[in-house]
Amino acid sequence: MAAGAEYLLPEGLDLGTVDALLAGRLDIECERVRAGRRTFYDTFDGRLHAKGLVLVHEELRFALREGARERAGIAHPEKAPERLVVDDLPEGPLRAALAPLCGVRALQATASVRGRRRLLRVLDGERKTVVRLVAEEATLSRNGSGPGATLRPRLHVEPVRGYAKALKRVRGTLEGDLGLVAATEPLHDEAVWRAGGAPGGVSSKVALASAPDLRADRAAAELATRLVAVIEANLPGTLAEIDSEFLHDLRVAVRRTRSLQRELRSVFPPAPLVHFRAEFRWLQQATGPTRDLDVYLDELEGSADLAPLRAVLAEHRVRERAAMVRALRSPRTQRLLEEWSTFVRRMPDAPRAARDDALRPIAALAAERIARVYKRLVRMGAAIDEASAPEALHDLRKKGKELRYLLEFFAPLFPGPAVGPMVTSLKALQDTLGRFQDREVQAGLLRQLSDEVAQREGGGAALMAMGVLAQRLDRDRARARAEFAARFGAFAAPGQRARLRETFR
Amino acid sequence: MSQTLATYNIKGGVGKTSAAANLAYLAAAGGARTLLWDLDPQGASTFLFRIRPHVKGGGGKLVRGKSNVAKRIKGTDHDRLDLLPTDFSYRHMDLALDAAKKPTRRLKRVLAPIATDYDYVFLDCPPSISLVSESVFEAADALLVPVIPATLSSRTYEQLRGVVAAEAAGGPKVLAFFSMLDRRKVLHRDVVEQLPREHPGLLRTAIPTAADVERMGLHRTVLEEFAPRGRAARAYRDLWSEIGERLDDGAG
Repeated sequence: MAAGAEYLLPEGLDLGTVDALLAGRLDIECERVRAGRRTFYDTFDGRLHAKGLVLVHEELRFALREGARERAGIAHPEKAPERLVVDDLPEGPLRAALAPLCGVRALQATASVRGRRRLLRVLDGERKTVVRLVAEEATLSRNGSGPGATLRPRLHVEPVRGYAKALKRVRGTLEGDLGLVAATEPLHDEAVWRAGGAPGGVSSKVALASAPDLRADRAAAELATRLVAVIEANLPGTLAEIDSEFLHDLRVAVRRTRSLQRELRSVFPPAPLVHFRAEFRWLQQATGPTRDLDVYLDELEGSADLAPLRAVLAEHRVRERAAMVRALRSPRTQRLLEEWSTFVRRMPDAPRAARDDALRPIAALAAERIARVYKRLVRMGAAIDEASAPEALHDLRKKGKELRYLLEFFAPLFPGPAVGPMVTSLKALQDTLGRFQDREVQAGLLRQLSDEVAQREGGGAALMAMGVLAQRLDRDRARARAEFAARFGAFAAPGQRARLRETFR
Repeated sequence: MSQTLATYNIKGGVGKTSAAANLAYLAAAGGARTLLWDLDPQGASTFLFRIRPHVKGGGGKLVRGKSNVAKRIKGTDHDRLDLLPTDFSYRHMDLALDAAKKPTRRLKRVLAPIATDYDYVFLDCPPSISLVSESVFEAADALLVPVIPATLSSRTYEQLRGVVAAEAAGGPKVLAFFSMLDRRKVLHRDVVEQLPREHPGLLRTAIPTAADVERMGLHRTVLEEFAPRGRAARAYRDLWSEIGERLDDGAG
């Protein structure tokens, strides 16, 4: 279908006079001005925006729109909520459309506007509407204190299905005869950034944006600073428990920071680095148990027999979360993030003693590190056989993460065709290793909790179900163990090694 | 997946188009993405929504799968309500179906690619028993059957139930309702009293005969747009909510 558009209305024109502008050029029927509030929603990381979609609450209903076209909607005869969880929506087209996009992510109100709108229908000879024009004046709803900003008045052109020619004609009139200028961004995007948000959401991905010949310590500082920003961006959502992805992304950023500290240690002043590494390790441990329980509760099947186990896990999670929140709110965390930021910012001016690689071009150092970690990974993996202890696989997984983060940080420095296949085979290997470890941890936790569950009402039946579950976990773990050889084989294949030698030299 | 509802009766002039147009409008107004397919070459639904009765390539090409259905759909003046227009070529629909393979599955096939675009698809059917109606039975989840409370109409309702029951299991539900009810007529009152006793599945809501319904053609729009407080508009609202309940409860 032909696309709609948004034009900026010229200065001095309001909803009362906009029809006069079009009179004589188009056959128009005007409706009366309607006032109302619209609230826009997206996930923290902008998943709807990325697909060109907008979720809006307006006139007591939610509508998921793609341009002017409504993909799905549902009545919601209440005030627009601050946030929305897809699972809480009733079954129906809206939920079905949102669920695969949002996953576990909550939808948060990104901006709210109060506006006046007037519909102008462009008619054909049968007095049938062939294009809709909506003139709109909107003001950002007050966000905390102070009056809301006024957005530029707009004229939305909304196509009617099956009337592409009429649409083209109307757009020609608006642009050619009237000289209207297309808005560079849709109204909801303007509303979001004016409300202080980011229209495309906040990404947790961090990759080096600088040139390959940047000094290595400056590159490390750039990455470290951006990782701190990701941690800080995800902290409020973690504390407010908006969805479980905030904690996950926060933890990944902490882990990436630790990888950066370890892999590029030769660019950092050594003594302070020891302190920061210990502190980030503490931060990661402080957030670990809650995340493990999040994953466990999310994956736990819905069988009624397991209700006592679910209750026990939920109680554990409440306790662990309380401890985590204390840690995250503590002066220690605050101090760590502040001091680490300051430290990396000043690092390029620090004495160069014992920072052997600080001045080298980052591409050279990154290539060396990637090649070294890859070789180490291959050596470690090759040493694993049927008789190896689970710890050998756990260690391999940790090393794999290290390589993955290096590849992600520095991917822009190297040709895509070289990095892509390595990431793919590494991901497959990591998935298998991850499943192996998760199942082991989960089965272990089941055994550990069995006494506690047994004492609950329905504990007997729950123990039985837990036994079945533990067996299933063990089987899945064994399957992952059996998969390992093939996955590792693909990762360490000769072709892969040749590519490595070529690229990361 | 969408639910397909066909307004159907073997007889003409019983209020099929009025039901299709008003119910489709109500479905869309309630938030459902709705398509109305005008299958009747007379094109009353198409006319009501002010759409030109023209189908590029004709109806035959469409049912034979030689024409892209999504490109033939027109937006109406109402949010979420689209219409697939008819034109005069639809009078040869039976011939077109007859020439196609598995003719009774054709309508369902045509609708398949747009099934996820709509919550409801209404079929406004021409009066007859023909390949078109058999194809409608195959495509529809429910037949909405307007019945004039007179002896002959009641008889055709029984015939229809017979035809649908004779089809394989999994055929459409038959949801019949009284249409063009004139309470001043003794016969109408008697039938309205009698028929539900014999057929407890009949819907409770009756659409009255009303000048508003006739004026739809004059206004070229649905009742809600020009006479929302009238008896007929109210009756259609009740009918739509009753149909909703019957579609939900799974009873045939």
